Amino acid sequence: MTNGWVDIKNADVILVMGGNPAENHPCGFKWTVEAKRTRNAKLVVVDPRFTRTASVADVYAPIRPGTDIAFLNGLIRYALQTGRYHEEYVRIHTSGPYIVGDKYAFEDGLFSGFDPAQAEYDKSAWAYRADPKTKAYQVDPTMKHPRCTLQLLKKHVERYTPEMVERICGTPKDQFLKVAEVVTSTGNAQRVGTITYALGWTQHSVGVQMIRAAATLQLLLGNVGRPGGGVNAMRGHSNIQGSTDLAGVFDNLTGYLATPRGELTDLKTYLKAETPTTLNGAPWPTMNYWSNYPKFMVSLLKELYGDAATKENDWGYQWLAKVDGNYSWLYIYDDMYRGSSQRAGGTEPGPEGLLTFGFNPVGVGPNTSKIINALSKLKFLVVGDNYQIETATFWKAPKEYGGPDSSQIKTEVFQLPCSGFAETDGSFTNSARWLQWKWKALDPPGQAKTDQEVLARIFLAVRDLYRKEGGALPEQVLNVSWNYTDPVNPDLGEVLKEINGKAVTDLKDKDGKVIKRAGQQLDGFSQLQDDGSTSCGCWIHSGVYTEAGNNAARRGTQDPTGLGMHPDWAFSWPANRRILYNRASADAQGRPWDPTRPGIAWNGKLWVGDVPDILPNSPPGQYGAFIMNPEGVGRLFTPSLNDGPFAEHYEATEAAIENPLHPKVTSSPVTVRFHSNKDVYGTRDQFPVVCTTYRLTEMYHYWTHHTNELNQLQPGFFIEIPEELAREKGITNGSRARVTSARGSIEGVAMVTRRLRQLTIDGKRVWHIGFPLHWGYEGDPKHVGPLANFLTPSAMDPNTWTPEFKTFLVRLEKAS
Amino acid sequence: MTADGLEIRQSSASVWGSATELRNLKVVSKLIDTTTCIGCKACEVACQEWNDLHIVPTTQTGTYQTMPSLDANYWNLIKFREVEESGFFAWLLRKDGCMHCADPGCLKACPAPGAIVQYQNGIVDVNPEACIGCKMCETGCPFDIPRYSAKTDKMAKCTLCVDRVQVGLEPACVKACPTGCLEFGDKAELVAVAKARVEQLKQNGFTQAALYDPPGVGGTTVITVLAHGDHPEWYGLPKDPQVPVAVSLWKNVARPLAALAIAGSFFAMVAHYLSFGPKTPKEGAEKPKGDKPA
Amino acid sequence: MRSIPVADQRSGSGMGDAAMARARSTEDVVVGDEIVRERLSARVVHWIVALTFFVCLFTGLPIWTPYLGFLAHLFGGLHVCRILHPWAGVAFAVASVFMFVQWVSQMKLTKADREFITPKGMLRYFQYRNEDADVGKYNGGQKLLFWAAALGTVGLLITGLVIWFPLEFPQWVREASYLLHDAAFSLFFAMIIGHIYLGTAAEPGTFRSMIRGTVTKSWARLHHPRWYREVTGEKAGG
Repeated sequence: MTNGWVDIKNADVILVMGGNPAENHPCGFKWTVEAKRTRNAKLVVVDPRFTRTASVADVYAPIRPGTDIAFLNGLIRYALQTGRYHEEYVRIHTSGPYIVGDKYAFEDGLFSGFDPAQAEYDKSAWAYRADPKTKAYQVDPTMKHPRCTLQLLKKHVERYTPEMVERICGTPKDQFLKVAEVVTSTGNAQRVGTITYALGWTQHSVGVQMIRAAATLQLLLGNVGRPGGGVNAMRGHSNIQGSTDLAGVFDNLTGYLATPRGELTDLKTYLKAETPTTLNGAPWPTMNYWSNYPKFMVSLLKELYGDAATKENDWGYQWLAKVDGNYSWLYIYDDMYRGSSQRAGGTEPGPEGLLTFGFNPVGVGPNTSKIINALSKLKFLVVGDNYQIETATFWKAPKEYGGPDSSQIKTEVFQLPCSGFAETDGSFTNSARWLQWKWKALDPPGQAKTDQEVLARIFLAVRDLYRKEGGALPEQVLNVSWNYTDPVNPDLGEVLKEINGKAVTDLKDKDGKVIKRAGQQLDGFSQLQDDGSTSCGCWIHSGVYTEAGNNAARRGTQDPTGLGMHPDWAFSWPANRRILYNRASADAQGRPWDPTRPGIAWNGKLWVGDVPDILPNSPPGQYGAFIMNPEGVGRLFTPSLNDGPFAEHYEATEAAIENPLHPKVTSSPVTVRFHSNKDVYGTRDQFPVVCTTYRLTEMYHYWTHHTNELNQLQPGFFIEIPEELAREKGITNGSRARVTSARGSIEGVAMVTRRLRQLTIDGKRVWHIGFPLHWGYEGDPKHVGPLANFLTPSAMDPNTWTPEFKTFLVRLEKAS
Repeated sequence: MTADGLEIRQSSASVWGSATELRNLKVVSKLIDTTTCIGCKACEVACQEWNDLHIVPTTQTGTYQTMPSLDANYWNLIKFREVEESGFFAWLLRKDGCMHCADPGCLKACPAPGAIVQYQNGIVDVNPEACIGCKMCETGCPFDIPRYSAKTDKMAKCTLCVDRVQVGLEPACVKACPTGCLEFGDKAELVAVAKARVEQLKQNGFTQAALYDPPGVGGTTVITVLAHGDHPEWYGLPKDPQVPVAVSLWKNVARPLAALAIAGSFFAMVAHYLSFGPKTPKEGAEKPKGDKPA
Repeated sequence: MRSIPVADQRSGSGMGDAAMARARSTEDVVVGDEIVRERLSARVVHWIVALTFFVCLFTGLPIWTPYLGFLAHLFGGLHVCRILHPWAGVAFAVASVFMFVQWVSQMKLTKADREFITPKGMLRYFQYRNEDADVGKYNGGQKLLFWAAALGTVGLLITGLVIWFPLEFPQWVREASYLLHDAAFSLFFAMIIGHIYLGTAAEPGTFRSMIRGTVTKSWARLHHPRWYREVTGEKAGG
C-alpha cells in the first residue's frame, strides 16, 4: 500500500477492483465503512461477481474476469477526454511533461522492441528522449508536445471508448459511465480517491500491467501521495508484506535489493548495474534515493557475514548465491518435474530435495497434477507446518490428480511439526507496511517447534558437517554471522535488531562528532554507510528497533494530524512514514492540495505532518516528489516493466474471445508459459466458460479446513454458477456440478446465484463461473474437497511470475 | 442464564408481576446497520465462543449462509438473501438473532414461571433452571428466534450477552464486528445514531430507508437500519410483528373464560345440590344398597 | 346395610358376592335386589380413562396457569408435568378409544333422548321432574356426555399433538391449537365436574355402578325406568 488501512477513512471515493476486501480483509474494510459513514464516501466495486463488498457498495459494475486493463484504460480515457483529471498535479508531480524517445511505438498490439524469437521486449526502445546538449531529460511543461508521456498516453487509450469497454469487459455502457463519473470526481485538488486491489489483479498474465493502469489513473487524478488516496495492495496474508520485504522472492535480497546474477562477478560491477542513475548519469535535481544502493548492500553483507566481511573480500559478495536464470518457485517445480534444469549455465539435473516451510505447494501451485508429479521425483522432502498438509502427503493424493501410484514414489518425506502464528513471538508486516510486534498466546503443542528453531538446528548441523568434513563452497556457510543468545532457538527480537541494523564501529557526523558508538542500534537507514561501519539486515525496515527499543511493539494511539496516521503505533517502513510519496500531497509551493487533509506541508523551514517522503529541510522545488525514481516524478509511462510502458488489454492466456483491439495479438506476447507435457492450455471451443478462483472470509487459505469451528461456517467446496447457465445445464442449487479445464476436472456442490450474470462480450454471450480454493484432501473427512488449482494454468506474468489463477477456461456440466 | 443482581421487569407466568425501577438502569440497545454489514460472520463465531456453544454440523447446500436458521447452539446467524426487483439487485445480509422485544411474545407465551425474564435494561433472557422445554415461546415469538435443544430439553436463544453487559462490556458480537455495523449502548442514543444513518441513506437515494423498531412488539432492544425499510420481508423480517393473537387471546380471554366455565360448572353443581339435594326414590321405594358415594 | 353371606363371598372365586361375580362379565341381569349395570371390563376402562384424565388435568393445570402451579409438586415439578402431560394424554386417548368402542352401540340417540337433551328437557331433569320419562339404560344426558367426550378427546388429542410437536406445524395451526386445546379442556373439565356430581352426590346409588357394577332395583326404576322394565320385565312405577 502506498497509504494504509486507516487512511482509507480519508477518501471520498474508494474504487475496489481485483479485490474483495469485505470478504478477504474485513478488518481493514472497516475504514471503508468509516469513510462511507463520516464522509459519505462512495464505494465503487467492479468485479465479475456481486461480492460481499458489492453488497455494501454505492456503485457496482460487472466485468469479465481478466479485462480490468480495458476498464481502467477506459477510465483514463474518460478522465482525459472530459478534463476530469488533476492537470496541475500531473504537470508538477508526474512524468506527463517528459518526452519519450523516438524508438517508442505501439502498433497492432505490440510495443516497439519486440523480439519474437525470445518473446521478450528490448526495453531500451522505450527510453526517454535526452536533450541533445545536456543529455538530460527533455520536458515540455505545457504537456502539448506530441511525444510527451501525457499525449502518448492520450493516444494510447484513445481506443478504449465506453463502447469498446462494453465490448471487451461486458460492462454495460451506462454502468461504466456511472463508475467513470464517480471515480473521476476525484480528479482535482478538493477531492481524493483511493484504489484498493488484491490478488484479483496480481494473479493474471497481465497482473502488473493492471496495477500499472491503476497507478496511471491515480497519478492523472492526482491521488497518489495524498491522504485518502494511493494505490493500495491489500496483501493476502497477515505477513505476506513482510515476506516480500525480506527476500521472499528469488530475485530479491532484503529490502528489494537485487539478487546478484552470475555475470555480475564482483561487488563493483553489481553495484554499478543495480544502482539507478539519471538519464545522463549526472545528479539531476531529484533525490534519486536509490543512489544510496551501495550503502544498503554493503550493510546487508556486513550483517550476513559480520567480521568475515571486509573491504578486501568485497564484504563477502562472492559468498552470495548468484542466479543464472529464473528461479521463481514454479521454475523450480518445472525443473523438478522434468528432472533437469536448463538455464544460462547449461543443463543440470533437477532438484533432489526440498525444504518447504509454511507453504503448501500442492494446494497453492497452479496445475496441481504437475506439482504432485514433480514432488514424486524428489529423493527427500521436508515439510514444516502445523498441520498435516497436502504437500506432506502428496504421495497419497487421490488418484484423480494424476500422480504416480504411491508404490512407485521413492520420496522420503520428513514432517516437522512447527508452531502456528499464535505460538510464537515475532512481527507481522501488514499491507500498510506496519511492522507490528505480537506476543505468543500459547506454547506450541507436543514436540512442535518454532520455525526459527527448526531452521537454526538444521543450519547448525550443516555448519558442523562443514567444519568436520569440509565441502563445496564452505565459506558460504562457515562465514555466516550467527550471534544469538540462544543459537539453537534465536530470539526473534534479536533478529529484529539485526534487521534494524547497528553501528559496527563508531559513527561520526560531518563535524566528527560521534553519533553512534560501536554496537549501538541505528536510528534509521539514513545512517547506513558503504564502508563497513554499519550492518543492516533490511534497509527499509531500519528504524524498527532502535536504542529506544522495539518500535514494532509500540501501541501509542495519539493522532496529531487527526488523519489516522498514529505515528506511535508500531513502525511503518520506511522511516515510520505512513503515506508514501507524501510530497505529492502538496502543490509546487508546498501547500497541501486540500488543507483539511494535509499529507505534509512546507512551513518555510521544514516539511511537517507525516514523516516527509523528501529531505525534511529541502524547500519546495528542490527535489521531485517521487524520490525513488531517478526522474523524480510519478511515471505515466513506465520503461522498466517487461511487458510494455503503457498498460494494454490482452486476453488471458486461455482467451475467451479474440482480442477486439488487435486480433493478431490476442494474449500478451510476453506471458511466460512452461512447455512440459503437463502444461496444457484449453481453447474456447472446447472450454467455453470463463472461470475464476477466490477465497472466503470464513476460511484462511488451505489451513482452516482443519478447524471445525470454521468448517461449521463454510462446510465445503462449492461452485458459483449464474442462474441462467445453471438452468441451461440442468443444474439446481445444492446439486452437484462438474468443472473441467484442459488440466483437470473437479466436482462440487452447485451454488446457483444471480450474483453472477451472463455478459455480452464482443456481441457474443459469455458465461463466467467461479469457485473458492480452500479445500484439499487432508483434514476432517467430512470437510475435504477438491483442490481448486487442479484446474488453473501455469501461465505467468512476465514481471512477477505470478500464475494466472484468476482467469482460465472451463467446461461446466451437471455431475452424474 | 440469568443474571444475578439485574432487576427483573417482567417474568414469564408470574402471578404478581414485578415492580421495578428501584435501580436506575437504562434500557440498552444493539444497533444493526445492514447497510454496512458485510456478512463476515465474525459475530457468529464470537457468539459461539463467548457462550461456549457446541459446533453445529453443517453441510454446503448452495448458500453462503451458515445454516438454514438459528439453532439451540447457534444464536446469531447472518441471513443472506438475493433480491431482484425490476433491474435492481441487492444481496441483503442481516444478522438474525433475538430482538429482545419490549413486549416479548416468548415471555407472554411461556407457561413456566421465571423461565423467560426481561430485565430492567430491556434484555430478554431464558432461565434454563425454570424452562420446561414446552416450546410455547417458539410460537409466541414473531421473529422465529427461540430454539429447542433436545439435549437439554430447554429452550435457548441470544442473551444479548447479559453476563458481559452486566459488567459493563458490549455483547460479544458487537465486540467482534470488524466494520462497526453493530453498535451497543443506550437505546435513546443509538436510535439517534440510527436515524442519522437513515437520513444519510435517504440522501444517497435509498428514499425508503428506515429504522426497524417495530411498535407491534413495543419496540425492540435490537434495532435495525434497513436501506429498503418499506420491505423488511426482503431481509427476512416480518412487516408488522405482533405478539401472536393467540397468545394474547389465550392469556387475556380464553384463560379467564375457561376459568369461569370451570368454576361456573362447579358452583352450579353446588347450587343445584343445595337447591334440590340428592335425587332419591320417593316413599315406598326400597332403600338403595350402598347409597353412600365412595 | 349390605348383608353379604360369607359363603357367597367365597363362591365368587373369593371376590365379592354373587352379584359382583355376575357383574364381572354380564350386564343387564337381575341378581337379587340388584341389577348388573356395568361389567368389570367396562368399569376398568372407565376408570383408566378417569385416571389418565386426572393425570392430564393435574399435570396440565399448572402449565395452564401459575396460580395452580402448586399442583406440579404432586409430580415432581413443572418440567415433569410438561413431559408427563402429553404421554398421559396419549394414554387417555387410547383408553378413550376402548371406552368408545365399548359403549358406542348403546349411545344412539333415540327420539326421547333428543327431547331429553333439549334445554327444556335438561331443565326438567335437573328439577327432578322427569320421572315419567321414557329413559333407557343411558339417558340423553349421558349419551350427550359420551359424544361430547369423544369429540373433546379427539380435539384434545389433535391440538395436543400440535402443541407437543409445534415445529412440525405452521404458525397458525399452532396458535389455533393453543386456543382450541384450552377451550376443549375447559369445556371437558366443566362437563366432568357435572358428571362427577351427578354420579355421586346428586344421584346416590349411581357410583356403585362403577364400583360394584350393580345398581339397586329402586335406583334403576327411578333413573332408568325403561331399562328397568327391560331388564326385570316389570311394569314401570312398581
